[in-house]
Amino acid sequence: MKILRIADASFARDGIELIVPFSLTLEAGQEAEIAQPTPLGASIAARICAAIVRPTRGTVFVGEYQTRLQPPQAKRLVGFVDAGGFVGDAHAVRCEVAFRADVWNLDKTLAQRRASGVLAELGDGPYARAIALALVADVALVVLDQPASPFVAAVRRLVPRAAIAQTLVAGLAARPATPALATAR
Amino acid sequence: MNEFRATVAIVRRHVDRRFGIDWAMQFGLVVAIAYVFAPTLANPLFALGIASTLAAASAAERTHADSLRRVTFFAMPLYGRQLARAHAVVPVLLALAIPAGYGLGAVVRTHNFPPALLGMMFGAALVATLVSLSATFRDGIRAWLYVILAATAGLLVSLPYALFADRGLGLSLALALLIGFIALRAFGETLARYDPLPTT
Repeated sequence: MKILRIADASFARDGIELIVPFSLTLEAGQEAEIAQPTPLGASIAARICAAIVRPTRGTVFVGEYQTRLQPPQAKRLVGFVDAGGFVGDAHAVRCEVAFRADVWNLDKTLAQRRASGVLAELGDGPYARAIALALVADVALVVLDQPASPFVAAVRRLVPRAAIAQTLVAGLAARPATPALATAR
Repeated sequence: MNEFRATVAIVRRHVDRRFGIDWAMQFGLVVAIAYVFAPTLANPLFALGIASTLAAASAAERTHADSLRRVTFFAMPLYGRQLARAHAVVPVLLALAIPAGYGLGAVVRTHNFPPALLGMMFGAALVATLVSLSATFRDGIRAWLYVILAATAGLLVSLPYALFADRGLGLSLALALLIGFIALRAFGETLARYDPLPTT
């Protein structure tokens, strides 16, 4: 089943292209890296994948939902991990988990247990906390915006059936990358 | 999706210690204004202008605007209109401090403050707040224009009351509800169209 379908997505502001256009198709259990030339471009690409930012050109489907037309349905399938991670102590994490449980309409105890399980697996740190928050709900797609260390394998262990999209800055990519390289493995 | 549960969660997130301090400061400021000016500027337009202007400025305050722009809110599986309703609750509660404070200051000083004027001030503050919320997702001159529009809208809906006293109150409140509803829908549309770009 196709989880993420992006066709020629680009984003411009005031006539300036902020990302290099990219296309990508991801099925359940697959992973992809999206390389952009700048950190800003990488973050915008991640937000496009997570249905948070609408591309100015091109189309994005998460599951069967087009992000421009049905953003809430699409966002429900996505766990988005922001580039900076989650800066806050253990208490702040618990509060944020409770908040997300309310917004996503989840059982709070179960949500806290899931977050604790993820943190036990990944260790502590801003990015690990952000992943724990992203995985509070059952998601089909995990979007990692410029992870500081290679988290993909750990996330794969936690959600084996989810698709994982990861953005990178081209020059900092772990493996040789060209601008706007989007590859599925 | 339980929309009510999500709305309550977002409202609770906005109601922090800072909200209490803001409410108290706004209330105290307006009590002082009313205490000083209520006897000399008895025209209801003065009180309504104060309510509209302060409510518009308060709702568009920059720290508040920045908090609404956090990416967390846009990653949530909610429509723009649902998010707008949740975001509007706290600014509206904050705006209520203005008529309440003015009423208290005027009563303490003059022992005379018409309840109809208090009701109309609530209406004007509500309209100004809901229109001004759209300024939080705009920058520079466009944000300022929204604040001016909000203050003007609050004052305009009060005109029937200001001109015809109690006979115009019903029309003024009906206008306030109508404009407030339209402003809330417009805020929802603003949220639905907003792209939260990274700040770095």
